[in-house]
Amino acid sequence: MIRQTGYFLHRALRNMRHSPVLSLAAIFTVGVALALLAFFAIAVLNVQRLTASWAADLAIVAYLEQPPDGATLNRWVSEIRAYPEVAEVTYVSREEAHQRFRQRLGHDAELLDGLGAEVLPASLEIRLHPERRQETAVVVERLSRNRAFGELHYAREWLERFEAFLLLLRTVGAALGGFLVMAALVIVANTIKLTLYARQDELEAMTMVGATALFIKLPYLLEGALQGLIGGALALLVSFTVYQIILRESLGNLLLLTGIDTIHFLPPAWQALVVAVGTLIGLVGSLLALRKFVRFCQ
Amino acid sequence: MASLIENGDNPGMIQLFNVGKTYSREQAALADINLQIEKGEFVYLTGPSGAGKSTLLKLICCAERPSRGQILMDGRNITRLGTRYIPYLRRNLGIVFQDFKLLNRRTVFENVAFPLEVQGRRRIEIGKKVYQCLQQVGLEHRLHHYPLQLSGGEQQRVAVARALVGDPLVLLADEPTGNLDPDVTLDIMEQFKAANARGTTIIMATHDRGLIWQFPRRVITLEGGRLVGDHVP
Repeated sequence: MIRQTGYFLHRALRNMRHSPVLSLAAIFTVGVALALLAFFAIAVLNVQRLTASWAADLAIVAYLEQPPDGATLNRWVSEIRAYPEVAEVTYVSREEAHQRFRQRLGHDAELLDGLGAEVLPASLEIRLHPERRQETAVVVERLSRNRAFGELHYAREWLERFEAFLLLLRTVGAALGGFLVMAALVIVANTIKLTLYARQDELEAMTMVGATALFIKLPYLLEGALQGLIGGALALLVSFTVYQIILRESLGNLLLLTGIDTIHFLPPAWQALVVAVGTLIGLVGSLLALRKFVRFCQ
Repeated sequence: MASLIENGDNPGMIQLFNVGKTYSREQAALADINLQIEKGEFVYLTGPSGAGKSTLLKLICCAERPSRGQILMDGRNITRLGTRYIPYLRRNLGIVFQDFKLLNRRTVFENVAFPLEVQGRRRIEIGKKVYQCLQQVGLEHRLHHYPLQLSGGEQQRVAVARALVGDPLVLLADEPTGNLDPDVTLDIMEQFKAANARGTTIIMATHDRGLIWQFPRRVITLEGGRLVGDHVP
């Protein structure tokens, strides 16, 4: 078994050595297609992370007409905490709101000089359990029954839009990915087919000395799989290099504004998937090319 | 008829019963061929170009299927042999072509070793067998050369070594000396005679009457796809 595998691998490598241009073309095509896919995956993954972090920060803010006394505040907080959707309730006094606003203005904080804390309303920040975030409207409706709460502010609609954008990004990624994978598949299949045409004499000689279809096909299947594997590894290398040089530093700095601290590369499972998809493209491409060719030679 | 054929009392190495092959409606490449070739026989297939010699060889090695009739090899009906069994049948055959059909990217050694690799033989056995075979055709000193570095005669000797390395039951040769000068032709014929003496049945298509006269054996003559003569000179 090991001897046979070694023999077929040796023949696959020799085939690649004999047609370096065709082999490189196949490797390059798989590499480019998968590198583009890897970039898309990096974008989707990071946007997903961003949404998750924003969603975690999302809160319903109930602005209070007047700051309540201690007993009323405690009652409200206990009532709201009893809602099954609610994870956390925080009271933000006028002074705290003023302090936060000052911090957010940074260098422009002096604009607030001369203005007291009374210009800002006190509020209750209500965070929901992540799994019950879809029920924001129900909680808002319940809170709106308390007339002491003025304006109720929440960003559900905005989050929904962002999630729709994420879905669009994933769909575009899947469509583009499908297209690129198909293109790579066709190119690999044609590359192998060209190799087969170039070695028609060899195939004919093989069939005449009693080679089985599997014996003829295996080295070509291995060749395709190897080209795909190398293409996948190349895609990973290229995307990681671009990530290190451009994405992590330059784009990372730009995205700091949105709350993303660092851009993450593909997790190990995804990296393995890129290489596996490359191998599969090569394998299926060879199978497609061999399907008719070997039947013809038999 | 099939049972009669398969249970023949004394089956020859190759038997053809009413074999015909048509490619187009106008002309049959072979028609109504009945023939028996015994084990260990040396047979010439002769006739003008287009007589059907190559077609007959192709039918015997299952490169083509007959349009009608039955072909038996060593008592086994190969007419409707399943595609996946054909390789195993071919391992009992050695085939030599007029244009050698060597693999130019492989050395002489690799070319001759090829049929044994296909059969999954061990490397050590392959090495020994290939060397012996190359010695028989007098090319053991050329084993690391590539076919295009050899003369036409040497290339055909490599092809003969490749055909004989697996100790085939039958050697099919399609005009093997057609492109060779007389000296090399004699050399190739000596190789065939030696293989025949070792028990290999040989069917050689040729239209070289001088050669038949020089190495007299049974002659089967085809013309226009029909068997018109079968005699031993």
